[in-house]
Amino acid sequence: MFFNSLPFAVFLPVVFLLYWFIFSKTKDTQNAFLVVVSYYFYSCWDWRFLFLLLFSTFLCYFTGIQIEKSTQEKSRKFWFWLSIVFNLGFLGIFKYYNFFAFSFSEALNTIGIHSSPLLLDVILPVGISFYTFHGLSYVIDIYYKRINSEKDVIDYALFVSYFPLLVAGPIERATHLLPQVKLKRSFDFEKAKEGVYQIIWGLVKKVVIADTCATYANAIFDNYTSMNSLSLILGAVYFAFQIYGDFSGYSDMALGMSKLFGLDLLRNFNYPYFSRDIAEFWRRWHISLSSWFRDYLYIPLGGSRGSKLKQVRNVFIIFVVSGFWHGANWTFLAWGFINALYFLPSLLLGTNRNNMETAELHWDFNSIKVFFNILATFTITCVAWIFFRAKSINIAFDYIGKIFTDGTFTSQFLQNQRYSYELLLLVLTFVLVEWNSRFKIEPISGKYSWLKMALCLLAIIALGTYADYKEFIYFQF
Amino acid sequence: MTKFITLVAKILLMILVLLVVLDWAYTTVYLHSSNRGKVEKVFNSKAQNYDVVILGSSRANNHFVPELFEKKGLKTFNYGMSGAHLFEASLLLKLMAERQYKIKTVILEADLGLCNEKESEAIAAKFLPYIHHSEIIKNHFSKQENFNELYYIPFYRYVDFDALIGFREMYNTATGKPTNILNNLGYHPLGHKPGNMKNDIRALKPIRNKYYEEIKQICKQNNYNLIAIMTPMCTNVKGLDYFEKANKIYPEIHNLENVVQGDQYFSSCGHMNDAGARIFTGVVLEMFFEKK
Repeated sequence: MFFNSLPFAVFLPVVFLLYWFIFSKTKDTQNAFLVVVSYYFYSCWDWRFLFLLLFSTFLCYFTGIQIEKSTQEKSRKFWFWLSIVFNLGFLGIFKYYNFFAFSFSEALNTIGIHSSPLLLDVILPVGISFYTFHGLSYVIDIYYKRINSEKDVIDYALFVSYFPLLVAGPIERATHLLPQVKLKRSFDFEKAKEGVYQIIWGLVKKVVIADTCATYANAIFDNYTSMNSLSLILGAVYFAFQIYGDFSGYSDMALGMSKLFGLDLLRNFNYPYFSRDIAEFWRRWHISLSSWFRDYLYIPLGGSRGSKLKQVRNVFIIFVVSGFWHGANWTFLAWGFINALYFLPSLLLGTNRNNMETAELHWDFNSIKVFFNILATFTITCVAWIFFRAKSINIAFDYIGKIFTDGTFTSQFLQNQRYSYELLLLVLTFVLVEWNSRFKIEPISGKYSWLKMALCLLAIIALGTYADYKEFIYFQF
Repeated sequence: MTKFITLVAKILLMILVLLVVLDWAYTTVYLHSSNRGKVEKVFNSKAQNYDVVILGSSRANNHFVPELFEKKGLKTFNYGMSGAHLFEASLLLKLMAERQYKIKTVILEADLGLCNEKESEAIAAKFLPYIHHSEIIKNHFSKQENFNELYYIPFYRYVDFDALIGFREMYNTATGKPTNILNNLGYHPLGHKPGNMKNDIRALKPIRNKYYEEIKQICKQNNYNLIAIMTPMCTNVKGLDYFEKANKIYPEIHNLENVVQGDQYFSSCGHMNDAGARIFTGVVLEMFFEKK
């Protein structure tokens, strides 16, 4: 049941009405109801994985209490590591086991030892990377005494499995969501209206931008050997907007619909393609994951303290692990590694916190510099996306090599029966709309909101891609 | 909450208005077009006179050369459509009959399409803009699973088939951008692509096909002489007895599967190239039109 599907268009209003009209008496009834519908929502993908979600929930709930209760350090450590090992173990088995088994076997084969890997016939449970990270942050925070354990199992279950964030985030923190869950929510019209606007804008990003870009990006990437330089460049740009529209669109919808239930989720995207350097990009892209790795990996490793060498090591670890989080494939590792390389100069020069404010352009010399910095950051981001999208690292290198060696910059007719340049106007319009609303959460609110909403609805209905239906990319992570 | 329900109601109303307006706008554009495809060419036409009309799938579209018919003085148009099933061929013929086309002979490619009665989405969608303007189209689709949504929800058909009749196609139609579909009197010649010349059609089972029966009925009612033909495939086909099985059900279909042999005459296993199509059309002319 995807957010942009017809069943969900029925599910959401029904849940909304029941929540506010039947189950709104106490926070307990509100939470219990949301937990039940969240489990129903999750079971719509595959009910068998509900048991995994339940197990992960009860494991973290129980070990959290035990860590807090334990008076001896040895005992605290035991419960802590039990939770970590089980959580990462499940993630490892479902997401990474086959990759490691296959890679190990390949490595043996290359040195002349013939082996065939013992692979598991399992499918990746949807959202496992997200709810595992919810649980991990919760247990780690208790272990380091930043928070107290949650005694109410329903409240904790809602924190982990709340349906707007269950399958593709944002990755919530106990310090942010649990305090909200502990209070009875009252209906707030302004918040709900904001939520509706965000849902509509999220839909524009998904069905108009991401899914349309996807048809072009797929046609180019899947046939890259017959594409010329211009098409290959456009393919990378289209994929950049596909993945941005897809994931930030999903996040907007998640945040928007959560507001309908009176709960605020963490912001996940903040106009990342208007970043002036790669450090700023990572402060604006998938914020909940970046900050998770910062708080639970980078800082414990020493962060930006210690020698330069240690700092460089920490940067590479966090980026490579972040890449690997996306999927068990060398391409994701390469993507993480490339981003670490991009980040390195600003780390060494100490300029990684230069651009903390949102970019602005005026009619002056500095704005020219800002404009070209944005363009340069976007360009290198697109190069990294080629590795993220390509089927293998070799293909990614081939793809990039062909951009420079082909030298033809004419429009090509693609396999999706469209010309490669056709989408540029739509993408440019989207960029202008985003630029004009970069100080807000979405572009609909404010002056002429009804007109802007009508235009968004018109775009969703008339320009959306529906026949060639695509699921959200981040659901596979 | 009342304010919120009012807001949602206004948004829903706005969506409904947009759906109705867009539906009207798109349909109006398609009702004024006749240069982009065969369906709209027929739908937006008046009575025509033809000696020969060719119907069927790509195996009609790529195999019958109207130019050769014309050389014999036979006014011909190839209405074969790549991907079409007999569902669409029957509907197109019904529309021709409704528009009082005078046709002496209908050549129907009736072979692989005999095995199913399903619609071909890619072609069927081209009829959908006109569903509210034609009882024939409405009735033809009325037994389809998604008929209610297609017919009663404004703009649904344009969303459901957005790649075929959505914004891009509507825009190209509105701006009068022509296609090559109507070139060569509807015939689409293929080149020679040396490659994998094999096919496996063992899974296909010919059936007594409802839409083939309909086509026979329409021809009978309108005095169209119907010639049903099975067209050639390359040599390396598993399950070639399909054609014999089809012949057992419908003995009147002329089995010309083997009249053009040699992979040099094929573009792919199921489609002859231009050279093959010309030989094949010559055979058809000799068999069915020389005697006259």
